[in-house]
Amino acid sequence: MTRIACLLPTNELQDHAALLQVALAHSPRVEDAGAGCVYLDASGLQSLFGDDARLADRLRDAAFAAGLAIRVGVAASRLGALAAARLGSGVTVVEPGGDAASLAAAPLSLLTLSEPLTTRLSRWGLRTLGELAALPTAGLFERAGAEGVQAQRLARGEDPRPLASWRPVPAFEESVECQWGLETLEPVVERLSELATQLCGRLGARGLAADGFEWVCRLAGGRAHEGALTPAVPLTEAAAVTGLLRLALEARPPRGIVEGLTLRARPTRAGAVQESLTDPSRPSPRFLAATMNRLVALVGSDRIGAPALLDSHRPDAVGLDAYASPSPRRGEGRVRGSRVRGAAPVLALRRLRPPAPAAVTLASGRPVAMRSSRLAGRIVAGVGPWRSSGEWWTTQPWLQDEWDVELADGTLCRLAHDGSAWHIAGIYD
Amino acid sequence: MGIPIESSPPPGWEREGIDGLLGLFPPGRLSEIVGPRSSGASSLLLALIARITTSGTGGQVAFVDGMDALDPLSAAATGADLSALLWVRCGGRLRVALSAADLLARCPGFALVVLDLDDLGPIPGSACIRLQRAVEGTGATLIVRSERHREGSPASLVLAARRLAPQWMGLRPLTRLAGLRSEISISRSRLHSLSPLGRGSGEGLQGEGLQGEGLQGEGLQGEGPQGEGPQGEGSWTLDWTLSQ
Repeated sequence: MTRIACLLPTNELQDHAALLQVALAHSPRVEDAGAGCVYLDASGLQSLFGDDARLADRLRDAAFAAGLAIRVGVAASRLGALAAARLGSGVTVVEPGGDAASLAAAPLSLLTLSEPLTTRLSRWGLRTLGELAALPTAGLFERAGAEGVQAQRLARGEDPRPLASWRPVPAFEESVECQWGLETLEPVVERLSELATQLCGRLGARGLAADGFEWVCRLAGGRAHEGALTPAVPLTEAAAVTGLLRLALEARPPRGIVEGLTLRARPTRAGAVQESLTDPSRPSPRFLAATMNRLVALVGSDRIGAPALLDSHRPDAVGLDAYASPSPRRGEGRVRGSRVRGAAPVLALRRLRPPAPAAVTLASGRPVAMRSSRLAGRIVAGVGPWRSSGEWWTTQPWLQDEWDVELADGTLCRLAHDGSAWHIAGIYD
Repeated sequence: MGIPIESSPPPGWEREGIDGLLGLFPPGRLSEIVGPRSSGASSLLLALIARITTSGTGGQVAFVDGMDALDPLSAAATGADLSALLWVRCGGRLRVALSAADLLARCPGFALVVLDLDDLGPIPGSACIRLQRAVEGTGATLIVRSERHREGSPASLVLAARRLAPQWMGLRPLTRLAGLRSEISISRSRLHSLSPLGRGSGEGLQGEGLQGEGLQGEGLQGEGPQGEGPQGEGSWTLDWTLSQ
């Protein structure tokens, strides 16, 4: 005989993870239904906790001890337990065989139905689960298909689907205490390498990889030196992780004697991909991860990535996305050959960042000469102004008049006036 | 078994068009594009990036930007796939740019590594040799973009860009800048073992890909090798269009 308990918070602002832990402390089979709702398999728990009412009381008390206010419903089906928890007060137990009767008055909105079926049932004038359960099944199948029949079975308290078991994510963390304080970087890296080997072994045994690492060095005097790194691709190789940790620690070494180390890995599911001979050449994930971390140490994390055009007309509105090695399947569907081939070559603009301030001489409102630290000379030809403005509805509006000009030495550049000063936005090249 | 259709040249393939110029850069070698401001050198570089990132091979490009001068909008206008472009901004620091280029040249998998220095300064000779050695191991094409060629550089190919004339629309008064006409010429070549697409083998650059009569592509008017010049000399006149 299946018995299912539903734990429902009285408000949505409660700790869902804590609620899952409360459920897991009472039953080995727990389903995370989302939106704060948790189901647990209450079958066979009588010898441990007593009958359903005692179990429900115990669940409510355990949640209260964890700082959670919940309602508990126990029934033979998930929908019955949910209705009991939502429509009842505190603890509600539906006796075995009583699900259909208890659901009869519940609203149809308890079911998760598609939009067409919801509309159809509403047009039929159905408001409660009891009315849906009372319809002839054959006629319902003819009009609403398999989804209608499935909904009717749920409304009758029949729940053939087993619980989708939820498991807590294991903590991938290793620590070591250093009997003798470590004063130099090399032994610290060696200890971290040992921890990385253990972590990677555990990750590999579960078919996981890590897309983030955090370390804590406990220093003499009670201080701590913390850091984190995010590899370009999920890793399972201890050697690669060690290399990244070494680079990160070299860039920012601990300031003191290290007495203990902790290394944590953020697990992720590494998709298995079958490589093929026709896949494009791409950087090796291991080499790329090491290279990216060296580059980050060299130029800074905010100065490396894939260029991204921002959704703005503001001049030079560009950002940086994280650069990722392409997946082998990314090239699929791409038209063979280049759309660039045969196209007219495009004139490039070289940006000056930041824009170089310029002193511009005007004649009849048109620039005739300019002088700046980068360029200077007489302007022999020019067109403009091209006026643009935007974001006037924000606190940072912008306005710009742009001129394309040719200097006497042949240089083509873009001059800009932002309403208060002139500057050189870029040079055509 | 028949030849798969993917093996045949794709539509738009123009052996004599701009591909003939862009196909010159040898993999596993150091090349240079030199030219003063507004000479079309950066436009040539972006055309090459677009060609590689949008080709069927899905090549990845690393762009070491010494002066933070890359305009992604221009790159997108050429058709380049920005997600296949790794942009490293060095903020005007020459040593940082050289170190970054060295790291990327040693990372296998990039089809093209660009070191854009512009007028940042001359590269030390030892750094050039180090870059050349680094890229030999990965097979990537390494291109250094600078204002002028440095004597003693180990570059296998040096292309020089020269400004011819800006293209304006409208008579007086002018209405808008339409583009730039520039000339790209080979000022130095050590390509003795090129593939058929690389034009030539030990004969310098007299292969068919460099013949002037073939350069009749759109936006491209070829003038061919310049008379009886030294072996390996050739030039292209290109009209770069300003994207609006």
